[in-house]
Amino acid sequence: MEALAAAIAIGLAALGASFGNGMIVSKALEGMARQPELRGALQQTMLIGVALVEAIPIIAAVIAFMVM
Amino acid sequence: MENYDAMVTRQRKWMLYLLAILVLGVGFAPYPQIFQGLLLGAAASLYNLWLMQRKIKQVSEAVVDGKTKYGIGTLSRLTMAILVTVVALRFDEHFHIIAAVVGLVSSYIVLMADFFIQTFIRDKKA
Repeated sequence: MEALAAAIAIGLAALGASFGNGMIVSKALEGMARQPELRGALQQTMLIGVALVEAIPIIAAVIAFMVM
Repeated sequence: MENYDAMVTRQRKWMLYLLAILVLGVGFAPYPQIFQGLLLGAAASLYNLWLMQRKIKQVSEAVVDGKTKYGIGTLSRLTMAILVTVVALRFDEHFHIIAAVVGLVSSYIVLMADFFIQTFIRDKKA
């Protein structure tokens, strides 16, 4: 049962993070390809966005391993 | 572009300050187990931050130059977090697990604090 709980926790977190990361990265890279002079600002926004999105699956992975 | 490099350097600098304070805590504070956990997590967190900054720079350089680059290293960072958890659970007499988890998210706290401080400074200048 613990393994199932861990799998659900890490799986759902990874699913959400993959959608979020995909949207952030695709929009930022699209902007960079259209306007290369805005690369610095877009990189900053992308870094902060990716970091915020990735905090959740990292915590979920930790919780999953603690549950198991 | 210079903005991003300046931000990266600033974030690494704050993380290194945090690590230095934690090392002092391990040496002198009365709760070595908690500070060792925090230090373990924060060290992994600094590695995660460095990896994320490097990968994002590589991906954006590849896009601007018209090359192909796959992935931004999410799996490596997740693996690092899992490794820290396993080490903290295995050696629980040395590392406090909750402290290790707090250490793991310290780079995100530093990153957000830096972002808010820089926004505040920029708004004050304007």
